[in-house]
Amino acid sequence: MRYVVKKLITLIMTLFLVSAAAFLAFQVIPGDVVTSILGTEATPEREEQLREELGLNDPPVTRYLNWMGGVLRGDLGVSYRYSKNMNEMMPVTELIGDKMPVTLWLAALSLVLIVALSIPLGVIWARSKSHFLDAAFGVATQTAMAIPSFFLGILVTYLFGIVFRMFAPGGYVSYKEDFGAFLGYLLFPALSLAIPKIAMTARFLRNSMLTELGADYVRTAYGKGCTRRRVMYGHVLRNALMPVVTFLGMIIAEIVAGSIVIEQVFALPGIGRLLISSISNRDLPVVEILILYITFVVIFVYFLVDILYRVIDPRISGK
Amino acid sequence: MIRLEDLSVAFDGAEVVKNINLELRDGEILGLVGESGSGKSVTALTLMGLVSDAAQVTSGRILFDDVTLLEAGRPRDRSLYRGYQGNKMSMIFQEPMTSLNPTQRVGKQVDEVLRLHTGLSPEERRKRVLEMFRAVGLREEEKVYASYPHQLSGGMRQRVMIAMAVILHPRLLVADEPTTALDVTIQSQIIGLLREINEKQKNTMLFITHDLNLARRICRRIAVMKDGRVVEQGDTEQIFGHPAREYTRKLIEAVPSRIKTNKAARMADTAGEPAVQVRDLSVFYQDGGNSLFSRNRRRCVVEGAEFDIYPGESVGLVGESGCGKTSLARAVLGMNRDITGQVVHRTMGPQMIFQDPYSSLNPAKTVGWLLQEPLRARGLLDREKAMTGEEMEEAAYEMLRRVGMDDLYFHRRPSQLSGGQRQRVSIAQALITHPGFIVADEPVSALDVTIQAQIMELMQELQQEMKLAYLFISHDINVVYRMCDRIMVMRKGRIIESGDRSEIFEDPKEEYTRQLLRDS
Repeated sequence: MRYVVKKLITLIMTLFLVSAAAFLAFQVIPGDVVTSILGTEATPEREEQLREELGLNDPPVTRYLNWMGGVLRGDLGVSYRYSKNMNEMMPVTELIGDKMPVTLWLAALSLVLIVALSIPLGVIWARSKSHFLDAAFGVATQTAMAIPSFFLGILVTYLFGIVFRMFAPGGYVSYKEDFGAFLGYLLFPALSLAIPKIAMTARFLRNSMLTELGADYVRTAYGKGCTRRRVMYGHVLRNALMPVVTFLGMIIAEIVAGSIVIEQVFALPGIGRLLISSISNRDLPVVEILILYITFVVIFVYFLVDILYRVIDPRISGK
Repeated sequence: MIRLEDLSVAFDGAEVVKNINLELRDGEILGLVGESGSGKSVTALTLMGLVSDAAQVTSGRILFDDVTLLEAGRPRDRSLYRGYQGNKMSMIFQEPMTSLNPTQRVGKQVDEVLRLHTGLSPEERRKRVLEMFRAVGLREEEKVYASYPHQLSGGMRQRVMIAMAVILHPRLLVADEPTTALDVTIQSQIIGLLREINEKQKNTMLFITHDLNLARRICRRIAVMKDGRVVEQGDTEQIFGHPAREYTRKLIEAVPSRIKTNKAARMADTAGEPAVQVRDLSVFYQDGGNSLFSRNRRRCVVEGAEFDIYPGESVGLVGESGCGKTSLARAVLGMNRDITGQVVHRTMGPQMIFQDPYSSLNPAKTVGWLLQEPLRARGLLDREKAMTGEEMEEAAYEMLRRVGMDDLYFHRRPSQLSGGQRQRVSIAQALITHPGFIVADEPVSALDVTIQAQIMELMQELQQEMKLAYLFISHDINVVYRMCDRIMVMRKGRIIESGDRSEIFEDPKEEYTRQLLRDS
């Protein structure tokens, strides 16, 4: 319980730091939202008027505190750049609401693929005694690790979309209409995102298992009369998974970042494009919330990994 | 009857076991004695069918009753072996912590033996395991059953290992240094337990050790191994009384025995001022101090220690592990900051020699570099004592010769040295700045008996030459007897008894000291 409280406090502190850092970055980088809306030809009077409207003339600390106060009350603010119509500002919540789940589901699905595929692959690889199989695995994973996700995305689109016609490129279905079809469409982008990580994780698990096979308790297990199979699954696997879980935790952030790129390749309506355009438009409220959201997800997954780690390794919770 | 006939085992073409003939008679305990690297563990692992695939049986065979388990020129029959392993033959290893699976409850690990070799129901199996736990002296067996290895003490873990090994009453029990990793008191309990099991179950036991004293206590017959060969074999008393081979004699002599008196003339200069003076020293540790929210408790690990050590004198500090020996030593050297009381040093730059010469030397550096490091560090701290590169090199060569090593080792790295050589380097490293006071924390515990004797001799020679004061920490009371003029016995953070060596050994005041003496 104390552990959970401690984690929560860490989470909150991290979110504060990240939001402050993002805010600070916007103070430092050149260009502001006024130029981006009005263009470079606008009169200084018009610019000044818009700055006043958006509250940009307040000192940075005041603006940060105002914004933070709003967030704490549940008001995520309004976009500087987008508006609903001529008279109404666009709330960030509405702007992001539809897009966020797409990105998160994409990341989640590729994580599931990574876990579900890399563990059996790693175990089979570690068990393979033939040199041919071992070498084949080595070459295959090496290759998969070397190809960037976005290029894999293009390959996957061509192969599964155009040659095998397993999905229609660009035929995106919203999760609100048909969740199953939505996941089906996400499967291929998720796969492009996951393949390099699957290769890495499988390789990592295989190495970890081979290291564990040299441990004393393995000798004890053989001494009891265990078969190789029993030693592998009953004794080695769980011990070998520990470093792999840590490794998975570390690549979560990469998966979330990677999903933003992959969205562009598969034309998914996720937050990727919005994040990029908002940064170039200096649309601070939108960027802040997107960054906070991503940070939250990453930390939350770290937290889950930590719990998982405790489940696997009894020595940790004992201390 | 189990027989090893003309057995040879090779790794990469190099034979490590050479034409061994051993006969294990039913119900006997045979000791297999030798230094590390003599081939005794490989022999045992080959017998058990557990030796790595890299090993090749180049000659001979292993017979279990009338079944040929293994024969040169035939691949190891794993499925034949599996019928024996855990069932008719089983093994106890040196390190019970790493020999148990860290992520499985120990009850389940013992249960697995029954699952593999019997058709018992889960309830029956559980009952058998609990009975076995009781039989090997584990109290609260239900709690032990549900524990993970890290939650048990070293002695309990070894009892679990023993329970696992003997639960099916195997004909053959191989014990490979089963007590080396344990404290003296626990050691004798485990030896007692093994003997008891041998009497009850009538198993044949192969007891492997580098410790002749231990072999003498438990074995009826002893086989001595050297460089892969059995050089001598016979009844225990015969081996000890009339060793036929020079090597066996050396091995027996190397054992620090209380009967043998200390040859070295005592050099302690107790008339002058002590090199180190310790007054009312207490040492504290913070419990759980690494968290932002936990309340820190200050725990006293050493309480009210008081002693003097004079130049040229060796003071022994004995006690079980966890009694505070190392904490006290670190505090004396100023490495524990949270202390009360007083430590006065009258010599410059005291040094420490550590137990494990494998991990306490940086593997990436050469011996020469390692030896010069203390001089470099001193040069940085104190400009006046800074030496030129050549001077430092000269000093390092000089020191290397003084610890009995050839110049050619100057450019070697620690991984290319043997354990004894590494400990010599550690000693040279400690002495190169000419300190007057040395703390030696179990400096010979990780070494073989013959090497132990050499290192102790070296330390005594250097002590006389350099008038060193030693604080010598050990759990091995025989080693302390050989090295030290005065002895302090520590228990639970307190020095409960101290006095001259003869006083402590001949007329111990405390029951605890008496027990320590008995157990060793």
